[in-house]
Amino acid sequence: MTVVSRPRVLFAAAIAASTLVLLAVLVLVAGASPGEALAALVGGSVGSGAALGETLTRATSLVLCAAGAVLALRAGVLNIGLDGQFLMGAAAAAAVGPLLDGTPNAARLALLLAAAAAGAVFAAPAVWLSERRGVPPVLSTILLNLVAAAAVTWLVRGPLQDRAADYPQSRPLSTSVRLRPLAPGVRTTAAFPVALLLAAGSGVFLSRTKAGLKLRAAGASPAAARAIGLADAPLRAGALLGSAAFAGLAGGLEVAAVTGRLFDPFGSGVGYLGIAAALLGGTGAGGATAAALFFAALGAGSSALQRDTGVPAAVAMIVPGLLVLGVLLVRRRLSGDEA
Amino acid sequence: MAENLARLDSSAPFLELPAARRSRVRRLAESFTLDLGEPDARVAGLPVGTRQRIEIAGALAADPGILILDEPTAVLSPDETASLFASLRRRADSGKAVVLITHRLTEVFETADRLTLLARGRTVKECRVADTTAEEIGSLLLGSAERHEHASQGGLRPPTAADRGRSAVLDASAIVPSGTSAPPTSFSLAEGELLVLLAIDGNGADTLARCVAGMHPFSGRIEVSGRSLPNSGDPRAFRAAGGRFVPADRRAEGLVASLSLAENLALPTPPGRLFLDGAAMARLAGERLRQHGIRAESPSSPAATLSGGNQQKLVLARELDDRLGPPRLMVAVHPTRGLDLSAAAAVRDRIEEARRAGTAVLVASSDPEEARLLGGTLEVVYRGALSGPLSPETPLPALGRRMAGLAS
Repeated sequence: MTVVSRPRVLFAAAIAASTLVLLAVLVLVAGASPGEALAALVGGSVGSGAALGETLTRATSLVLCAAGAVLALRAGVLNIGLDGQFLMGAAAAAAVGPLLDGTPNAARLALLLAAAAAGAVFAAPAVWLSERRGVPPVLSTILLNLVAAAAVTWLVRGPLQDRAADYPQSRPLSTSVRLRPLAPGVRTTAAFPVALLLAAGSGVFLSRTKAGLKLRAAGASPAAARAIGLADAPLRAGALLGSAAFAGLAGGLEVAAVTGRLFDPFGSGVGYLGIAAALLGGTGAGGATAAALFFAALGAGSSALQRDTGVPAAVAMIVPGLLVLGVLLVRRRLSGDEA
Repeated sequence: MAENLARLDSSAPFLELPAARRSRVRRLAESFTLDLGEPDARVAGLPVGTRQRIEIAGALAADPGILILDEPTAVLSPDETASLFASLRRRADSGKAVVLITHRLTEVFETADRLTLLARGRTVKECRVADTTAEEIGSLLLGSAERHEHASQGGLRPPTAADRGRSAVLDASAIVPSGTSAPPTSFSLAEGELLVLLAIDGNGADTLARCVAGMHPFSGRIEVSGRSLPNSGDPRAFRAAGGRFVPADRRAEGLVASLSLAENLALPTPPGRLFLDGAAMARLAGERLRQHGIRAESPSSPAATLSGGNQQKLVLARELDDRLGPPRLMVAVHPTRGLDLSAAAAVRDRIEEARRAGTAVLVASSDPEEARLLGGTLEVVYRGALSGPLSPETPLPALGRRMAGLAS
């Protein structure tokens, strides 16, 4: 429908422009010049090898969480619980990691599988509540996020606490198990290409496989899927569990590639940001990945922003929320026009 | 019900005691001779026919200068239709404007002063009703639509004793749809038989059909091709037994509106092993669009972009597909409701073709014309009970009386 695409582009441009203007105003209020702020944002995210490495490191979890959010959204399930599932994946990696020994690659694989499984297991109650008791996953997964945050708080002060340290943090992974940087001087590890591959794989799954088509049908119209004879409940359950496994894996990679251990608080809401990226990317795997990379660049740039100009990093992180609200506004406007 | 009516009716008092409202609503219902049910009934629990009558009563009660009715009679009994038209006539005679949007020529020639014939969004003819005939308008309607090579053959015969001797494809015994107080109902169908359950909406014909298709839970026993269907309602079990289903609401249940035509046609068993076989899907879509005369921009446009008639053809193309094995039993609810004459004829032709090929067909309908054109045996459903088999040649007034519960 070419009639629709032009206003969509215009709206998107208008929203991006107004977000930039608002950001410039906030920078002025914080007492810096918008030009310098922009230079700091760009320089801190893609301006150098180290900056780019920082962006890609941040992008790893975000790309996976965004792909997970897309997978669930396409099946008609809003998985708000990515953040909790991310934490559980990280906790599983922190619990299993110090015990692992032997060939590094086998140990890493076991670690990441445990993380993905932990994410999926943590979403299982939401699946059961939804199919058997009619509790919307939106509600149950929000509540499970609270449980996950509390669990991390307890784990790092209880069973997983590092006896050698006074801080509330878990024992570190042995260096043989941790992922190594791809190049000297940057933090980026093989975790980033793995995340990209998995996100691409989820996109191919959705658009090119039989199960993906059935899942999209069940998500777009549960009533029609049922009448056509599709097993809509297992499709929804599978999508939510798969989505949770992506978030769990993201948590595991964060521990294996970046932090090396679990502490509290952990992850700074990457699951929520993943949902925002999925929505900004138009609930497609490609768009969501692009949005995740953009958010990660913004995150890396905002550190430089604070360091170079004194503008609080939080100012830049207003952008994702505003952009997504704008996108939802556009979509509502356009679906209204179409109807 | 009374609260809804008061909301629709702009002449209703702003504040009103419940008792006063109840009696005012009863008087309104009587003055329009519409059966609105109990004033205290919850609208959510009322059948769609009653809801429609409440809307009509609400529009009439406000006594507006211009009244626009869009297919108001789809769910009314013949008697209710007559009394509605009498009141529309009185309004027009007293100098008020009434606009009636309808597919039914008889309604136009019974009531209207002027007519505007629309086809595909364009005005085909505009004239005084007295200056034309139903035959002329009918042929204009058919002529402006797509030409149809296979016009309905007519002369369909009710099943004979020989047909009854064949093995039963559908055997429903003592079924009661869950959530209703209908009496237990039994019916059966052999290969190549067609049964139309005819009823004013809200009398349970569609619910019975949905029970058979596994879309509504029931008590009793339903066997399709000798396999017993679960009482909880399971469309997959119905389909595994060779069942096919054409629901009343194409956009909500018949199709996934946001998916492409090719994707819709490929469901529920897309070609390919793990990955979709794109070439096979395109081939399938091309064949089906041609075979069924579906007018579409391209096989990759979303199903939502099709007109209602083409959407219904798409549903039939998917359901009659023999990739999944031969269709043994087809259940269709209001298969031609809301379609233009040409699309309706095409849909009836498809059903007739399937029946000739040996598919047993169960249709739920609220339109006596549709039922008679489909042929086969008729059963009028009134408050969930079957009338017993009737011939499709049964005169319309007799059918109307049975549908309204005036004759048994």
